[in-house]
Amino acid sequence: MSLIGDALSFAKLFPEAVICGTVMAAVCSAFGVFVVLKRVVFISIALSEAATCGLALALVYHFSPLAGSALVTGAVVFMLTLPEKRQHLPKDVVLGTVFLLASSASVLLVAQSGFGLEEIKAMLYGDLIVSSPRDRWVLLLTGLPSLAVLLLFLRPVLYAFLDREAACVMGVRCWFWEGLFFFLLGLVVSGASKSGGALLVFCLLVVVPATALLLARRLWAVIGISVALGVLTTWAGLLAAYRADLPANPTIIGLACLTLMGVALIRATAAKFIARRN
Amino acid sequence: MNATPVIQCRGVTVAYGRDVVLDRIDLTVPRGALLPFVGPNGAGKTTLLKACLGLIPHQGGEILCDFGGLPPAYVPQQKQIDPIYPVSVRDLVRMGLYPEIRCWGRFNCGRNARVARILTRFGLEEHQHKHFGELSGGLRQKALLARAVVTQASVLVLDEPTAGLDATSEADLLNLIRSLHEDEGKTVLWVHHRLDQCVALARQVCLVDKRGVRLTDCLEVAS
Repeated sequence: MSLIGDALSFAKLFPEAVICGTVMAAVCSAFGVFVVLKRVVFISIALSEAATCGLALALVYHFSPLAGSALVTGAVVFMLTLPEKRQHLPKDVVLGTVFLLASSASVLLVAQSGFGLEEIKAMLYGDLIVSSPRDRWVLLLTGLPSLAVLLLFLRPVLYAFLDREAACVMGVRCWFWEGLFFFLLGLVVSGASKSGGALLVFCLLVVVPATALLLARRLWAVIGISVALGVLTTWAGLLAAYRADLPANPTIIGLACLTLMGVALIRATAAKFIARRN
Repeated sequence: MNATPVIQCRGVTVAYGRDVVLDRIDLTVPRGALLPFVGPNGAGKTTLLKACLGLIPHQGGEILCDFGGLPPAYVPQQKQIDPIYPVSVRDLVRMGLYPEIRCWGRFNCGRNARVARILTRFGLEEHQHKHFGELSGGLRQKALLARAVVTQASVLVLDEPTAGLDATSEADLLNLIRSLHEDEGKTVLWVHHRLDQCVALARQVCLVDKRGVRLTDCLEVAS
């Protein structure tokens, strides 16, 4: 069967997977640009794990998965936005501890609940293929407004991140914009975690924007390329998984990582070639 | 002309936790001054200026500032800016327009022309489309100074602007600082390490050391 035929039949069979994958890829890849620029990659994995822990909590105590993930992620975001002076440990240590605690709590909660290993796997790795209409609405209602707010207030957010002290002196309310960014990031991660799982969300927040940063030199171009790459990689991963009968999310992650490695290699080779010519 | 001091510190104490860096200091910075803050490492030069800008809280005393309507322009050390950001020199200089345009204001013709004039004045015209991270240390510092000047603030505060620069770039930058003071009458306060250079540039120097903070005549210090 042709590639286009396969793509069409996949979209017909799993429309929710395509919609959820597209929205999640677009939103996470845009937010990820700032995650990579601010060098807070560890925050995104800690948030992803916190969201997973919230999902486990919701699974065990039978309440809304979004509420569960938003609750735990919100608590972590609040902790992270506290002034550094009030944290007596280095931020990396705090994040590492949050990551470990959230990961182990997820496994322990599900183990206590009587669910099997499959549920734990589904939560950690997610599965876009089994996305439901409810997941789609959660993603649309958390992701798109968050993205709109980020793009609307891109200027103060960028200035607060780029040069905090100079921005504060200029009148940018840095603590507010940083807090808003992390709040929105927490919301996005909470909304995306059920379909995406911690690993895919982390990949879209880090690997895809890092690739875009290698390809473009202006912020708007980086954001645009990151969104386009995220969406294209997700579509390609879904299609490859469908054709080769593979799990969707790890296929997308693998493709994104290979793309980053390929782009980095091409850039390094091109730089060497240019240096030799000069 | 407004003769009120730009900054008045009365009995100001600044501490990091239990470590008191500035202890009940008094200082009056006159308007239109070209004033280097000189002293040994860890004496509190940067801390004092940051406290005056409101970047660091002070635990005692009062700081009265009159920056003349516009917020002051602050030039941090160039290493403060992560070169990973996809920001051109022109974008960085346009950041200085934030107090005027806020979140959604447009970079109209007048503002773009002002940015272009300042880029030319600072010799950054040919580098304006380059990535900030691609510039040499001297050019980075010039770009940061250009961003400060584009704000049209009457008070410039610079934190070790010549740190890590070679002798030529250092002289170039100090000349720019002097011309901003002499040609435009700006109040320029900057943290510096070399007293000999300060003597050549300024009439007074603010000495910050264990004995406290005091304004001293440069010639007196030199002799």
